[in-house]
Amino acid sequence: MKGTDFNPFAMAQAQFDKVADILALDQGTRDLLRNPLREFHFSIPVKMDDGTTQVFQGFRVQHNDAMGPSKGGIRFHPQETVNTVRALSMWMSWKTAVVNIPLGGGKGGVICDPHNLSMKEQEQICRGWVRQMSKNVGPLNDVPAPDVMTNAQHMLWMLDEFEVINGAKYPGFITGKPVGMGGSLGRTEATGYGVIFTVREALKQMGIKPENTTASVQGFGNVAQYAIQLYTQMGGKVVCVSCWDQKDETSYSYKKNDGIKLEELLKITDKFGGIDKEKAVKMGYEILDAEAWIEQEVDILIPAAIENQIRKDNVDKIKDTVKIIAEGANGPTTPDADKVIEKKGIFVIPDFLANAGGVTCSYFEQVQCNMNYYWEKDEVLSKLDTKMTAAFLAVSDLAKKQNLYMRDAAYVIAVSRVAQACKDRGWV
Amino acid sequence: MKKTEKPVESLIHELKERAKELNCLYNIEEALNERDTTIDAAFKMIVDAIPGGWQYSEITQAKITYREKVFKTKGFAYTPWILAEPIKVQGVEMGALLVAYTEDKTNKKETPFLPEEEKLLKTIADRLGHFILHQDLKNVFSDLREATTHMNRPTKGEWRIVLDMIRKTDPNLFLSIARKLLHMLCWNGIEEAEELSRQSSIAMKSNDGEYDEDENKPKKKMIINNYDDYIDQILKLADKYIYDEEILARVQKWIQEDKSSGLVKALETKDTSLADIADAIRKYYHLAPEKFELSPSTIKGLRVSLLRRFFTEDLDYIRVAKDYVKLTDFYKLIDKMIYQPTSRGTLGGKSSGLFLAASIINKKSDDNELMKNVKIPKTWYVASDGVLSFMQYNNLEEVLEQKYKDIDEVRLEYPHIVQLFKNSQFPPDMLKGISMALDDFGESPIVVRSSSLLEDQMGASFSGKYKSLFLANQGQKSERLSALTDAIAEVYASTFGPDPIEYRAERGLLDFHEEMGVMIQEVVGTRIGKYYMPSFAGVAFSNNEFRWSPRIKREDGLVRMVPGLGTRAVDRIGDDFPVLIAPGQPNLNVNITTEDIFKYAPKKMDVINLETNEFETISIEDFVASYGNQLPGMNNIFSIYDGHIMRQPMGIALNTNNGELVVTFEGLRKNSNFVKRMDLILKTLQNCLKTPIDLEFASNGVDLYLLQCRPQSFSKENVGDQIPQNVPKKQIIFSAKKYISNGKVPEITQIVYVDPIKYGELETKDEMIQVGRAVGKLNKLLPKRKFILMGPGRWGSRGDIKLGVNVTYSDINNTAMLIEIAKKKGSYLPDLSFGTHFFQDLVEASIRYLPLYPDDEGIEFNEEYLCSSTNVMKNLIPEYSHLSDVVRVIDITQASDGKILKIFVNAEIEEAIAIIDTPKGELPIEEKHYYVYEETQISDHWKWRLNMAQRLANDLDLDFYNVRAIYIFGSVKNAVAGPGSDIDLIIHIDNDIKLDRLECWLKGWSLALSEVNFLRTGYQTDGLLDVQFVTDEDIKKKHKYAAKIGASIDPARPLRIRV
Repeated sequence: MKGTDFNPFAMAQAQFDKVADILALDQGTRDLLRNPLREFHFSIPVKMDDGTTQVFQGFRVQHNDAMGPSKGGIRFHPQETVNTVRALSMWMSWKTAVVNIPLGGGKGGVICDPHNLSMKEQEQICRGWVRQMSKNVGPLNDVPAPDVMTNAQHMLWMLDEFEVINGAKYPGFITGKPVGMGGSLGRTEATGYGVIFTVREALKQMGIKPENTTASVQGFGNVAQYAIQLYTQMGGKVVCVSCWDQKDETSYSYKKNDGIKLEELLKITDKFGGIDKEKAVKMGYEILDAEAWIEQEVDILIPAAIENQIRKDNVDKIKDTVKIIAEGANGPTTPDADKVIEKKGIFVIPDFLANAGGVTCSYFEQVQCNMNYYWEKDEVLSKLDTKMTAAFLAVSDLAKKQNLYMRDAAYVIAVSRVAQACKDRGWV
Repeated sequence: MKKTEKPVESLIHELKERAKELNCLYNIEEALNERDTTIDAAFKMIVDAIPGGWQYSEITQAKITYREKVFKTKGFAYTPWILAEPIKVQGVEMGALLVAYTEDKTNKKETPFLPEEEKLLKTIADRLGHFILHQDLKNVFSDLREATTHMNRPTKGEWRIVLDMIRKTDPNLFLSIARKLLHMLCWNGIEEAEELSRQSSIAMKSNDGEYDEDENKPKKKMIINNYDDYIDQILKLADKYIYDEEILARVQKWIQEDKSSGLVKALETKDTSLADIADAIRKYYHLAPEKFELSPSTIKGLRVSLLRRFFTEDLDYIRVAKDYVKLTDFYKLIDKMIYQPTSRGTLGGKSSGLFLAASIINKKSDDNELMKNVKIPKTWYVASDGVLSFMQYNNLEEVLEQKYKDIDEVRLEYPHIVQLFKNSQFPPDMLKGISMALDDFGESPIVVRSSSLLEDQMGASFSGKYKSLFLANQGQKSERLSALTDAIAEVYASTFGPDPIEYRAERGLLDFHEEMGVMIQEVVGTRIGKYYMPSFAGVAFSNNEFRWSPRIKREDGLVRMVPGLGTRAVDRIGDDFPVLIAPGQPNLNVNITTEDIFKYAPKKMDVINLETNEFETISIEDFVASYGNQLPGMNNIFSIYDGHIMRQPMGIALNTNNGELVVTFEGLRKNSNFVKRMDLILKTLQNCLKTPIDLEFASNGVDLYLLQCRPQSFSKENVGDQIPQNVPKKQIIFSAKKYISNGKVPEITQIVYVDPIKYGELETKDEMIQVGRAVGKLNKLLPKRKFILMGPGRWGSRGDIKLGVNVTYSDINNTAMLIEIAKKKGSYLPDLSFGTHFFQDLVEASIRYLPLYPDDEGIEFNEEYLCSSTNVMKNLIPEYSHLSDVVRVIDITQASDGKILKIFVNAEIEEAIAIIDTPKGELPIEEKHYYVYEETQISDHWKWRLNMAQRLANDLDLDFYNVRAIYIFGSVKNAVAGPGSDIDLIIHIDNDIKLDRLECWLKGWSLALSEVNFLRTGYQTDGLLDVQFVTDEDIKKKHKYAAKIGASIDPARPLRIRV
C-alpha cells in the first residue's frame, strides 16, 4: 500500500503519540503501546453451499491486556485490512480504560462480504474463526463481541463452537448475546443513560440544577430516546430534537419551547425513529430544517445520530448559551470544528467517555456470565451509574488539574491507566 | 281449362286427393310404429298401403327393394308409367321405392303423376330410410349386448360383429376401416394383401378404376359385387393373419379417429363461431373421451386448430403449445367461456399465456413431484370480440376512431368514454354468460383482468396499460352482477385510454385490430376478519436483472414477493419494499444486517375489504395486532425481531409479545419447497417457451397458484441493448464485460466522476467526508436521471471511508446509474459492493448499477476524457472548489459539442459500453406511481416531420435556388424522432452559388415548423430544420454529410422534388 493512502493505524498511532507526549511516557512504554501485543493472521477454509471450498482470511489483534482480558468486536468486511483492525484494537484499549473496567483492547475480523454469503456459510466462517483462535481467546483472555456486519446470531454460533471445543459452558467468552442466552438486561438503555449520567455530573460540577437546563438533541434513535427519557426525568427540558425522515430523505428538527414529551412523540414515531410530521404539527411542534437543532438557545447539545455532524461549516451556529456538548454518537465532531469548540470554551464530554455505557454494559454481561448469575435491570443500571460517574469524575478532575481540554484529558487518563498497568506488571 | 276458371268440383277433387295422401301416410306410420315389428313385416304392410295414396288407386301398384329383399303388391309390373325414389340410409342408397300405374293416365301429359304424389313418394322413402337406420341400430345394440355377455375373453370374430355393425350403420366409416385394414395387412407383409391392393382399389367403386378397362360401359352392378368380394377378401385375410385382439383394438382406434372428424371440420372452417366449436367439442368429448387414444397426428392437428381458434395464430406460440396442451383442457375451457353466439373471437394474450404455462406444468408434473399441485384459480373468459358486440349493441362504434385522434384529445375524452361504457348495456347473451360465471364464483372476491390480443404480441408489454380490477363480490346477486359488468365495461373502456393508445402509437401498433378479452379470476386467498387476501403473492422472473452479488447468475431468477395481494410486488412502490429472492441462490440475501432486513421488510399490504367492497392498503402491524395469527402460513412469512436477533417463530402460535414481527419469508425459504419449486417452474417454463418469462403467483398459505405467465422480454425495461460495434476508441468512455444487468439508461448529459487515485490521496477523513457531501449537493442540482455517478470502490461505504465515497441513499437518488470503479492498487483489487446497503432502494427507483474493472484486458476506460474535460463543479458548488481535483463534473454537451453519453448494456452477452453520441431526443424516464413509462414519445413525431419535409421539397423552386436534390436522414428518416428532434436535411446544390436566399427561405420554414412542433408537444426550439449543404465535389469525395448519400449503412433518403 502506498504511503499516501489513508491509514487508520497511522492515525491512531499519531493520536497516541500526542498523548504520550503529554504524559512524557518513556520510550519503552511508547514502543509497547504504539503496537499491538499480539496479532493472529489465519485462514478459515469454508465448504460453500455449492460444494466448492473458499478460504477466508481472519484476524485477531490483541492490542493490550494489561488491565484484563482483551475486549473487542469481530467485523465481517470485504475490504478489511490489518491496519484497520490494529487501529480499532488500540481504540478499544483506551475505551475500556477510560471507564476503568478491567478489560484490555482487541479487535478481529474476517475479509468477506456477507452480501455474497448465505447464513450457512457465515456460520461456517464463525465456527472456523473460533477453531483457529480457541487457544487464544476465552473469558479469561480475550472476549469478542458483535461489530460491523455481525450480530447476536454470529456470537451464538461462535460461543457454541467454543463450548464444543472446550467441553464446557463459557457464556463469558463472548458478549452481545440475546437476553436469555447469556445477554444482559439494560443494554438497550445503557448508552443513552450513560450519556446523561455524565451530563448530570458535569452540571453538578458547574453548579447548575438539571431542572433549570434545556437541551437540544440530534437523532431520535435508541441512544437519543433513552437520553431524553433520563434527562427529562431529572427535570431537564429538551426543546428540540432532530430526526431522519425516511420519506423525504432528509432530517427535520422538531421544536417545542415548553419541552418535548417523549411519550407523545414515540406514539407518532415509526420503527426507524422517524416522526410523523403532520401529527407533530397538530401536537404543537414546530418543524424546522435539519440543522436547526444545533442553533438552539439551550444549555446542552447532544449529538446522538451519526458522525461528522458538527463541522467547520456549522460550528459557528452554536449559540453562546451552550455550556455542554455530550457526544452520544461516535465522532460527531470533526477535528477542525473541535478546535472552534475548544476555543469557545464549551465543556465537551467526548464520545468515547459519553457513550461508554455500551461497553460498560458488555463488561457487565461478561461478569454476569462468568458467575452464571444475572442481575435485574435496576441493578445493571445502578452499577452503570456508578461506573460512568466515576469515569467522568476522573476525567474531569484531570482536565481541571492539568488544564486540559476534556477530549485530551480522557485520552490521557486512558493511556496512563494502561501504561501504569504495564509498568505494575513489570513489562516496561 | 284455365286454372282461374277451376270449377268447384275440381277443388273438391283436389281436397280428396290430399285426404288420400294423408290417409296413406297415416297407415304407413301405423305400420312402422308397431311395437317389435321387423323391417320385413313393416315393409309388407307399407307396400300395400301405398296405392291408397295415389289418385288412381285402383291401377296403382307399389314395390320396395331393400338390400336383397323385394316387397311388392300383387300386380306390380314395370310399365312406362313408373315413379321411383331411392331409399337412403345416411346418404347411402340402400334400396328403392317404386310406384307404377298399370294403365295410361297421362292424358297427353308427360307424366301421369301429380307433383304432390312425387313429393309423397319422397316423404315415404325418407321415412323408410330412417326406419331402416333405427332398426339397424336396434340390431347393433342387441348384437353388442350379446357380444358383451360373451365378452370376458374376446371371442373369435368379435371384431366381425363390430365391423358388421359399422357396415350397416356407417358405410363410409366401414369403407375407410376396410381400407385401413388392407393397409395394415400390407404393412405386415402379407403377399395376398399386396396382391389385392395392387389389382384393385376401393376407389374403383367410383367407377374409375384402372381394373375397369371399358370405361364407358355402365357396370354398377358388377362393381358392387366386386366390392363385396373385395371386402370379404380383406376380412378373410385379416381373420387369417392378424390376432383378433389386435384387429379389435385397431378398429376401435380408427373409429375414434373418425369421431374427431366433426371437430376437425368445425375447426377448419374459418367462419365457424365459438358456439359451434364449443358444440363440436362437446359432441366429440361425449363420443370420444380422451381415454381412447387418437393417433398422435390427429391429436396434434386438433390441438393446433383449437389453439388457433381459442388463443392465437402466433406460430411461435402454437409451435410450443401443441406439445403440451390436452384436448381435455379445451373441454374444460368451453364451459367457462362467455361469448355471443356469433362470436369468432379468441381469449386474448393473458389467457393464452396462463393456459400454456398451466399445460406445461401439468405435463411436467408427471415426472416431478415439485411441479404437482401448482394450481390455477377458477377463471372465466370473455371472448375478445365481446367488446365489439358490446359496442355494437350500444351503438358505440364511433369510439373505435378514438385511436387516431390526437393524444391530448384522447386524454380529454377518456373519462367520458369510461362513463359512457359503464352506462351501457351488455348484450343479453353476454349478460347471461356473466351471470352464470357469477353463480359459479359465488361470493368469492374476483379480479377482472384485461386479456387483449395485443398482449400476446412479441415486444409489446402492456403491463399496467390496460386495467385489472379487484371486486369484493359480496352481497345480493344483482349488486354483484352490476359491479362485475361495471368492471368489464371499465376494462373495455381502457382499450381507448390514452396510455395504451400512446403506447401502441409508439410501437406502430395503432392499426392492429385490437380486441379485448377479459379474464374473470377468483382471487386466491382467505377471509380474515373483514379482509380477504392471499397469504403471500408476487412476481417471478426467470432472468435476474437486479443481481446483488456476483455469485448470483442471471439465470438464477428473481422473485419479488409480499404478504397479501401481489399488487405491491408488481408495482414499484416508493415507501415500501418487497422481499427479493434469487431462486437459484436462495440463501444469498439482499439485506445482511438485521437492521437492514428490518428496514427493508414490507410494512404494508394490499387486501380486499369485504365490508366496504374496496381494495385497500393496510399496515401489516395493525393487521397482526387485530387478527393475531390467523393468516395461514404465518410462520413461513414472519420472523421475530427483538432488536438483536432475528428468529423464526416456532410452533403453532406466533408469540408476538417478545418482539416485532418482520416479513422475511425465512420460513418459506427454509421449511418449504417454495423456492425450489419456483426455481423449477421458472426454468421449466423458460426452457419450454424458449424465452425468459415473468410469472405472477399467489398462495393461500397452502397451495401455490399461477395467475399470469408471459415472456419476460415483454417488459421493455429488461431487454438487452444492441451493443454498437466498431465504435472509434475516441468515442468510448468506458466498457465493461463483467456482471452486467439489463436495464435502459436514458441519455446522459453529465458525468460526476470521483477520481479514484485523487480520492485515495486525500489526507484526512474530513476531506473524504466532504467528497460525499459534495456528491450529495450535486445530486440535488443536476437534472434527475440525466447524470451518472462514477467513483472508486463502494459507494456508501459505511466501514472504511477510504474504500468508497461516504454517501447515503438520498445523496445519490437522482442519478441514472451508479458506477463503481475497481482500480488496482498494487496487487490489491478492491471488491465492489453490488449490494450496497441501499441496494433495494436502487432497485425500487430503477437506478442502474455497473461495476467497472478498468485494468482488465480488453476494457476501455477513457481516463483522459474523464480527467481532462472541463470540470464545471466549481460553478455548481463553489463551496467545494478545493475538492475540484477529486470531484469532477463533466458537462458532456459542453465538452463534446452538443453530444450526449449513451450507455448500452446487454446482459446476454455480458457487455456494456458508454459512448459519446448525438442525442436522439428522447424524453427522460419518468416514473409514475402505477405505470412504468418506458418512453413518452408519440409515434407520429417522425411522421408529420417527414410529411413536412416532403412538402418543403415540393415547394422548393429548384432552378431559382440552384438546388439539385434534397435528402432526409437521421431520426425522421429512421422513424425514431422524438418531440424535440430536428429534421435533418441534406441539400445538394450547384457549386459556388450564394446561399443567402435559400438559407433565408429555409429559415422561414424552420421557424414555422418549430412553432408547429411547440403547439404539438410543448417543446421549444429555435428552428426545426438542420440543413447540410453538399456539392458535386463533396459527393464525389464523400465529404462529411455527402457520405450519407448512397451510403450502404443508414443512407440519406431522397425526397420527391418538383420537376
